[in-house]
Amino acid sequence: MTRFHPFVRAALLAFAAFCGFLLVGAISPGTWLLDTLTGLFAAGLLVMSLHLLIGYTGLISFGHAAYYAGGGYIFGMVLQTPAFVAACGPWSVPLATLLAFCGTGLFALVVGSICARLSEIYFAFLTLAFQMLFVSIIQGLVYYTGGDQGLMGGIPRPAFLGLDLVQARDRYAFSAFLFVAGVLAVRLITLSSFGASLRMVRDNERRAAFLGVNTYLVKVLAFTAAGSIASLGGVVLAVFTSAAYPEWASWSVSGEAIFMIMLGGLHSFWGPLVGVVAMRIINDLTLLYTTHTEMAKGLAILFVVLVLKRGILDWLADWRKARHAASSAKEQDHAAP
Amino acid sequence: MLDLDALLNCFSATSCLVTQTSTGIIIGMLLFLVASGVTLIFGVLHVVNFAHGAFYMIGAYTAWSAYNATGSYYLAVLAGALSAAVIGIVFERLAISRVYKENLLMQLLVCYAFVLVADDAVKMIWGAEYLAMGIPAEFRVPPYRFAGGVVPPFYVFLVATSLAVAIACLLLIRYSRFGKIVRAAAQNASMVSVLGIRVPVYFAALFGLGCALAGMAGALAAPVRSMTPGMGLSILIDSFIVTVIGGMGSIPGALLAAILLGVTRSFGSLGFPLFVDGVMFIMMVAILVFRPQGLLGERAPR
Amino acid sequence: MTVSYRTGLSRRTFLSAAGALGAATIGAPSILRAQGSTIRVGVPTILSGRVAILGETASIGAKMAVDAVNDAGGIDGRMIELVIRDTKGKPDEAARITRELISADGCQIILDAEASGGAFAVHEVVRDTGTYCVHSISETSSLTADPANAAHWIFRSGRQGIHDAIAGGLYASELAKEGVKRWATCSPDYAYGRDTTAEFMEFLTIFAPDVKLVGETWPKSFQPDYTENITNLLNLAPEALYTCLWGGDLVAFFDQASLYGLFDQFQTVAVNMGDAPVLEAIKNLPAGIHSGNRYHKDIPDSEANENWNEAFRKSGKLPTNWGWQAYTGACFVIEALRAAGGDIDRDKLAEATRGRTIDSPLGVSGTVTMRESDNTLVDYALGYGKTISEEPYLTDFQPMAWDVIVEHETEWKKRKGFI
Repeated sequence: MTRFHPFVRAALLAFAAFCGFLLVGAISPGTWLLDTLTGLFAAGLLVMSLHLLIGYTGLISFGHAAYYAGGGYIFGMVLQTPAFVAACGPWSVPLATLLAFCGTGLFALVVGSICARLSEIYFAFLTLAFQMLFVSIIQGLVYYTGGDQGLMGGIPRPAFLGLDLVQARDRYAFSAFLFVAGVLAVRLITLSSFGASLRMVRDNERRAAFLGVNTYLVKVLAFTAAGSIASLGGVVLAVFTSAAYPEWASWSVSGEAIFMIMLGGLHSFWGPLVGVVAMRIINDLTLLYTTHTEMAKGLAILFVVLVLKRGILDWLADWRKARHAASSAKEQDHAAP
Repeated sequence: MLDLDALLNCFSATSCLVTQTSTGIIIGMLLFLVASGVTLIFGVLHVVNFAHGAFYMIGAYTAWSAYNATGSYYLAVLAGALSAAVIGIVFERLAISRVYKENLLMQLLVCYAFVLVADDAVKMIWGAEYLAMGIPAEFRVPPYRFAGGVVPPFYVFLVATSLAVAIACLLLIRYSRFGKIVRAAAQNASMVSVLGIRVPVYFAALFGLGCALAGMAGALAAPVRSMTPGMGLSILIDSFIVTVIGGMGSIPGALLAAILLGVTRSFGSLGFPLFVDGVMFIMMVAILVFRPQGLLGERAPR
Repeated sequence: MTVSYRTGLSRRTFLSAAGALGAATIGAPSILRAQGSTIRVGVPTILSGRVAILGETASIGAKMAVDAVNDAGGIDGRMIELVIRDTKGKPDEAARITRELISADGCQIILDAEASGGAFAVHEVVRDTGTYCVHSISETSSLTADPANAAHWIFRSGRQGIHDAIAGGLYASELAKEGVKRWATCSPDYAYGRDTTAEFMEFLTIFAPDVKLVGETWPKSFQPDYTENITNLLNLAPEALYTCLWGGDLVAFFDQASLYGLFDQFQTVAVNMGDAPVLEAIKNLPAGIHSGNRYHKDIPDSEANENWNEAFRKSGKLPTNWGWQAYTGACFVIEALRAAGGDIDRDKLAEATRGRTIDSPLGVSGTVTMRESDNTLVDYALGYGKTISEEPYLTDFQPMAWDVIVEHETEWKKRKGFI
């Protein structure tokens, strides 16, 4: 594998993953696995894009769900415009997805360029304030957004490229594509030289600035990229529920996304996805015995934070490192009699 | 959507002005009581207590039980504050104290976990349905009227209590021995502990005090709000707005911001009912962008 | 908490949640269960938060109907199993859970017990998946009245806002004749609140043209503090107030408004006041509030209703409007299954439901009908009365005749362009 450039490797891996998902879709008997995976795709896009900020840039955003919901709303509202669907015909869905991606990116750009001036807790609060502002705008513009009620009346989804998104399998394939594309984008960013700047800003912002990195610009760009990738998660959710709801932008969604990243591991690329799956397993295991899933989640968080003090993948990595160190120490003992 | 006429009419009628202004102060003082705990804990311990809403809930539920057991509203408020303080101290010792040195994320997660656990625990103990306490008999009296405006005696009591608490807290932190030690310890814990002072005890006590304020607010408001598990969430958001606008760590700032928000709410509900929340968030954004330390905050942003 | 997901793994839990039903299924002779697989009916509803009582009493109502059938041997030997799920009252959760009920839990029938916000979300899902569905709780008229929302396999087994609006408008126009002309409204800010309030005012002005709307205020659902809305009403100084707040929100609003002596200053029509748990939760219920009947043990004053009321109270809960509506929904599902011979084909069930009249203790004359033209329930007991501070809480009840309601409803539909 080392023969390939890391970018090519990532792209090949993504292609293989996409084919794997399609295979699962083709052989899965019922639709529940597909629907479950679709839900995980949406959550996965949210946390992977947030990971770009929290894990790679060191920006703690409390308001990431706004972009997630933003994608769903733009996608839904564009497709609910009869003129748009009439004009674009079979290309409506891809175009609406693109619009959601770009529109949310623009929104994130504006918010990001205001927020990136602040640091730490003030940055966190400002992103939170923008998220709440976004929710109250959705709720205020009842005529356009349906207010508290969410986008009503269903989202028309004309078939394209032989995909009819009303069908569970087609919807699943479309969601899998967006998911793989989004994760690939995050991967490429982290592998690129821009990704290196992000890590430098995270580790020592002053030093980065001293070395000639425009740290403000780096942060704004990271924020924009993360926002637009999160919007794809919202598109998946909008396709899945045939609507969009203000709850998607609630701060508990942002909070839970942060937790899933921490649960899976803040310092490894795949950590957040492990977190999404682990959260789901905690939830389902609890439901076997009791309906008190929140209690179980809360206790799991306390365990991770206070006992493990790091996420699952980070803990595994440390554990392996420790074992490796121990065994090599032993070897040295043998080697030096 | 916009109803500026209603707003202008109100400004030209004293009865309306009196009622709306007093409403603003009432809403504001209740907000302040919760927010003062957040700002107190942040100001001294530099911990953002995201679990504050949970203590508000604990206070309200305990008060409900105490009121039903004793029939006394005042005892119920005391019970609410005490229970929140005790649980707060336990929480501080077992969890928060371990993340004082960690970054913001760890603090957030511990608090978030506590909120989840507390919500479910309340659901197990008191049930998922709403509970209502009802107005205590001594406050079931006709409202006061002056200059055509209407002010209920119960709210006068709430405002007076909140104000007394605010002044007491300020005096405690600024001038008492306890306040001085806690502030010194927050600056340099090892130096203070060298003087033979058990710093963790003081930190726990201060955290407990902040939680007691939240619990007291919950208990005070219990007669007029139906209680549910998870009721702390909306109050938490409001108290963050107050804390940020007033200046994180500044109690007078929190008081000013709370009243500002209360008045915005009461007049906004006449003039721009759909965007009252929006205006509050815009105020918060504007403060963070142009004056991150808040209206009366002293600390420069890091 | 929106980004968490449940799988089919959870279905075992809900056997226990299905309570008596679970016991009945386990207790039934195993030979019966072996004869045919169970018919699973998915019930998305609200079991937590400020309106948990909605889901709890709706579940009890649905279980009453299903238990009776299962105890009598099921439908051609097939048992009916209710799969009840908590949506926390959030529309997005409702959409997700309904999908899971269909795809993961194998429910071919959805008995929707969601409030309006969630009901529209459930509606989109069952339209998308083409699943037979009976909405039992949402009263928003447009859910079934607007042809844009219609699907021939989706029904409503509860009140419809427009029916209450016509009855309420007529009732309130009597007040107007006594000189109550200036009206204000205070209703929750979402589809149900806005539609129902607009419909009420529309009919009030039709029946009493000299009535004037002096102002309105729209609290958010689950708003903790209503002070700003209350003082707003004080400033408007109306002669009467209309509100369709409900459940815990109505209780909180009443407690807070009493502080301002609001109910001494004008007449109040609170359409959702009449539910027993609300009436009992409000300490010092003001007398003379005008309310719809919701569910009341004496309306209709029949033996069947009395028996139903007693059977419901055995669950330990007080019967609510939601209880009877979910009960009626379950009855329609059962009758449709019977008529289709246990077949769960969507179109056969829909065919068997449309236009069906069933015996019901809640019917004005012992029956209720699923109207053929718009898949919605008619002939249920409906009217307005006044509160008093102790049992039976509601007096001076004035029932509304259905021919009058239907006549005005038809005109309303024409005005709206629905027919």
